[in-house]
Amino acid sequence: MNKVTTLWLNCPVVVCLCLAAAVAHGQESKTVLGPSNTDLYYGAKALLAGDAEEGVRLTLLGVQRAANSRDRITGMSNLCAGYIMLEQYEIGVSYCDKVLARNDQHWRSYSNRALANLKLGRFEETEADLQKAEAIAPSARTVKVVRSMLLDATNPVAPLIVIDDRRQAADDDEQ
Amino acid sequence: MNNNRLFIAAGIMAFSIALAQDEPIVEYVAGDEGERRPLHTVVPAYPEKARRARVEGEVEVCFKVNREGRTSRVAVRRSTNRAFEKPSRDAVRASTYRPLPKDKKLSGIKTCRTFRFHLEAVTID
Repeated sequence: MNKVTTLWLNCPVVVCLCLAAAVAHGQESKTVLGPSNTDLYYGAKALLAGDAEEGVRLTLLGVQRAANSRDRITGMSNLCAGYIMLEQYEIGVSYCDKVLARNDQHWRSYSNRALANLKLGRFEETEADLQKAEAIAPSARTVKVVRSMLLDATNPVAPLIVIDDRRQAADDDEQ
Repeated sequence: MNNNRLFIAAGIMAFSIALAQDEPIVEYVAGDEGERRPLHTVVPAYPEKARRARVEGEVEVCFKVNREGRTSRVAVRRSTNRAFEKPSRDAVRASTYRPLPKDKKLSGIKTCRTFRFHLEAVTID
C-alpha cells in the first residue's frame, strides 16, 4: 500500500499542474503590458510554488476584481485547486462547481473535482468526473494520475515479478 | 515443472535475491539445464507508469556470462511491452553468476532469462 500513500502525497502536484495555463497567460501579457490581474497571476504562481494559503488569498482578491469571465473562471478553477491543496475539499468542490456551471468543457475542474471527491471517499462522483475529463482531454497527464489514484483506492494492486530461468540457453548467432 | 517453482519466502535458494525499491512479490522459477548457476539475482523494478496504467508484460533477455560470472552483451530477445525492457536489461546487468570452475571450458552459448511482470489484486482492509 506504499504506492497509494505516495500518490496521496503527490496530490498537490496533480493540482498544481492544473494552474499552468493561468500563469502562462500572465507571462504572455507581462512581456508587453504586464499581467492584467496581478492578484490572479501571483496567486497562481504561489499555488504553483506550493504556497496554498498565499495562493488562495491572492486568488480570492483576483477573482473579486476580475474584469472578464475568463479571469473569473481561471480564478475559481485555481481556488478549487488551492482549497484542495489546503485539504478543504468541500470548498474546493464548490469552486469547481461554479466553474463547471459556466463552462462544462473545463476538464481541469472535472479533474480537480474528481480528486476532491476521491479524497472525500465519493468514488462514484470521482468516476463520473473522470469520465468527463477523459472525454475532453484524453491524454492529460493529471487526469491519468487521478484515474490511477482512483484505481489504487478501489482496486489496489501489488507487483508480482516472475523470474524464469527455465529456458537457459540461446545460440550466439540468434538476436 | 511445478517442482521447479520456488518462492522467495522459502529462503532455500543457493543465491541471493535483491529486491528493488518497489518491493514486489518475487517468484523464481529455476532452470535445470543451464550450464551457469545464478549467484546474485537482481529483481527489476515494476515501472510505475505501467503499474498505474495496470499494464502487464513479459521480456526475455539473453546475455553472455564470463568466466567470473559477470554478464555482458545483454539484449532483449522478446518483449510484449517496451516499458519493461530497460528494467529487465538493468536487472540482468546487475546480476551475477557463479564463477566457472577452472577445469571447465567457457562456452559461447548465451544464457536467457524471462521476466514476467504481473499485477495482483490487493485486498483492502
